[in-house]
Amino acid sequence: MNSKYQLMSGSRVFAAYLGDMRFELTKMMRTPMFSVPTLLFPLMFFVLFGVVMGSARGNGQQSLYAFASFGVLGAMAPGLFGFGVSLAFEREQGMLLFRQAVPMPAGSYLLARMVMAMIFVAISSLALILMALFLAHMQLTIGQCVAFFFMNVVGVLPFCALGMFVGTLVSGQAAPAIINLIYIPISFLSGLFIPMEVLPASLRQIAPLWPTHHLLQLSRAELGLNSVGSPEIHVAALLGATVLFFSLAMRKLSGSGIRLIGGARSGGPLPMRRAVNMGVLGVSLGLLIAGITGGNAPHAATKTAATSNGTGESVPDASGSSAPVGVAAPDKPLIANFDDGQARTSYGLGFSASDDKMRGGNSSVAQKVVEGALEVSGEVGTAIQYPFAGTSFLPNGSPGVDWAKQGFMDYSHKQTLSFRARGDGHEYMVMMMGPALDTIPAMYNFTAGSDWQDVHVPLQNMASIDLQRVKLISFGTMAPGAFRFQIDDVRLE
Amino acid sequence: MLCAMGAQTTLARLEGAHKNFGKIAALAGLNLEVRRGELLALVGPNGAGKSTAISLLLGLQRPDRGSAMLFDEDPQSIGARRRIGVMMQEVNLSPVMRPREFIAQTASYYPSPYDTQAVIKRLGIEKIADRAYGGLSGGQKRQAQFGMAICGRPELLFLDEPTVGLDVQSRGALWQVVRDLVHEGCSIILTTHYLEEAEALADRVAVIDHGRLVAAGTVEEIRAHVSRKNITCRSSVSVDTLRAWPAVLQVSEKSGRQQIVTQDAETVLRQLLGADAGVRDIEVRAAGLGDALAALTSDDNAGSLQ
Repeated sequence: MNSKYQLMSGSRVFAAYLGDMRFELTKMMRTPMFSVPTLLFPLMFFVLFGVVMGSARGNGQQSLYAFASFGVLGAMAPGLFGFGVSLAFEREQGMLLFRQAVPMPAGSYLLARMVMAMIFVAISSLALILMALFLAHMQLTIGQCVAFFFMNVVGVLPFCALGMFVGTLVSGQAAPAIINLIYIPISFLSGLFIPMEVLPASLRQIAPLWPTHHLLQLSRAELGLNSVGSPEIHVAALLGATVLFFSLAMRKLSGSGIRLIGGARSGGPLPMRRAVNMGVLGVSLGLLIAGITGGNAPHAATKTAATSNGTGESVPDASGSSAPVGVAAPDKPLIANFDDGQARTSYGLGFSASDDKMRGGNSSVAQKVVEGALEVSGEVGTAIQYPFAGTSFLPNGSPGVDWAKQGFMDYSHKQTLSFRARGDGHEYMVMMMGPALDTIPAMYNFTAGSDWQDVHVPLQNMASIDLQRVKLISFGTMAPGAFRFQIDDVRLE
Repeated sequence: MLCAMGAQTTLARLEGAHKNFGKIAALAGLNLEVRRGELLALVGPNGAGKSTAISLLLGLQRPDRGSAMLFDEDPQSIGARRRIGVMMQEVNLSPVMRPREFIAQTASYYPSPYDTQAVIKRLGIEKIADRAYGGLSGGQKRQAQFGMAICGRPELLFLDEPTVGLDVQSRGALWQVVRDLVHEGCSIILTTHYLEEAEALADRVAVIDHGRLVAAGTVEEIRAHVSRKNITCRSSVSVDTLRAWPAVLQVSEKSGRQQIVTQDAETVLRQLLGADAGVRDIEVRAAGLGDALAALTSDDNAGSLQ
């Protein structure tokens, strides 16, 4: 009955933190409504999109994209549901208030829930890696596996903060619906399930609003896939979202007497505390805005894409990645300047209008040389999932030969693809395609405005395909509707 | 310093505490103290401010004016909270976890708690200790929460309606543990709707109404606030006649027995014997805590709670 009751040994405090972590983990493990979807859904989707569909199409790229996507999906659910639904429920049931009354060590509840969410992500990421290696036979480096794992495990934090914020606003009953209303749309809108290219430009532009977009781009860049925005920008956006939602949530909770972090407010003049609060809010908003504005910028991939050997399915000779590398590209940089009124190229098969009719589409396209430039116009239809219309050039092509037998060009020693473009103001893309027609090509977006503009594409940006085996270079669009653009002075040097 | 703390006689204190919720004043200058070694029962009608008073002492809410202290510290300080045990109303714990897990978790927050198994044994809840909380009855849930409240070897125990939903036997067992704890030197602050519980356990009763302390003292002292007596009898004198007698305050009739409330039992009895020599089954009772409460507070139903 004296002050010794106030003192508590460090090891006991540590044990209390540890005990809370175990408690939260046990609790969530025993809640199938939480544990089954968070652990199984990403794996299920990966089996479907990455293993079954990926190998059915003999396509390593698709498996890789699926791997990145469902890793992010696995990082979303434990954060959003673990913090959103459970917190709303426990707040409503008085459990949070009870924990304020007992001498729970500072922040233990939050820490335990965070660790719980991270452990769930660790389990699903690890399972994804194992499936990628042994089921999809993807060739991932150890570095890629480690980066993938930690990126997702840490990447759960912004979703924890977002979930927590929602959990402080809505009732336990409403929380699952609200969280799903966030979870599902942002998964689609940041391209976890469908390629961004099939979304309207307006939705593509706002993708950096979703934290999933930033985590996905980070993951893709690490795996050597196409990505936009620099890693710094994505990290800034994720950090900003974490701090912002977390501080908003804490603010809301403290209004109802719940202080999850500290004990008594340790004084400090009110204006100073206000200033600190405003500072935190300002900085996090700044980071977030930087991320949103810069999160879609073109970004040079620096990693080499991992590839897959497929799953033992034999691929036609000339289209397999085991095919011999292409003919080294000529030293001359100029491909075409259209000055002679022809769509001829200095090597290979000249530019020819191409659409998606062969793949069952209904897009139409026509091209002509106007004032020394190639004008391409037409209309992209909606008959197939990935429509396309534009103009294409086979650098090592021969007339009258099947696609599969067309030759490769080795561009690995070249640095930059450049051209001039103008048009109706829409966004277009230049694509480089490797061996198989159904692979996802390397793509680079550009806008064709009313004035001529120089576009330089570092070939590093196209590194998601094998630059030693380039079969096709196309300019065009996948966005449904009428289009018109001109290109000139196409160079590769 | 150590000695000063050991000698501390007031463990928790509210001084002139005001708390408003919007336009409603939950507390309007409440003074309250819990002394070492006592069991203080907080009674009063619904909405009197009992729960708000507890919230302030636990640091869950801050007084708008006045002060709340726990062991001479801010109630939010973790040092103060390590010396208390808490059983709150309207707390639903996770349905998938088990009483043993809850008790062990709560115990881990304290410097020198009781052994979890010892707590379970002391409360006689071995049978439910490893069952999912969600499947327990209301009374069993209260028992588990009581275990969480006492497991930290608290110096001061907050019990908010501890026996709601308990059967008579379990309630008796819980009362025994409460008495033992007080005997061992633990101080307790108890709010209850069952005045019987306050009468059975409390060393001191604090009556709260409209956010103020209206009376405090032992059960006897509180009862003495009212000099009323209850007389019951079987008599041929009609209720209307009785009501007309000047010493009679209230009359009612239930299954053939008249119930008379008076401040002057002797006069009424003399009059009654004079008017009806055949009067039978006379019983005179001092006012209970419920009567005292009814008289002290604005709540007309308080007496019927007993």
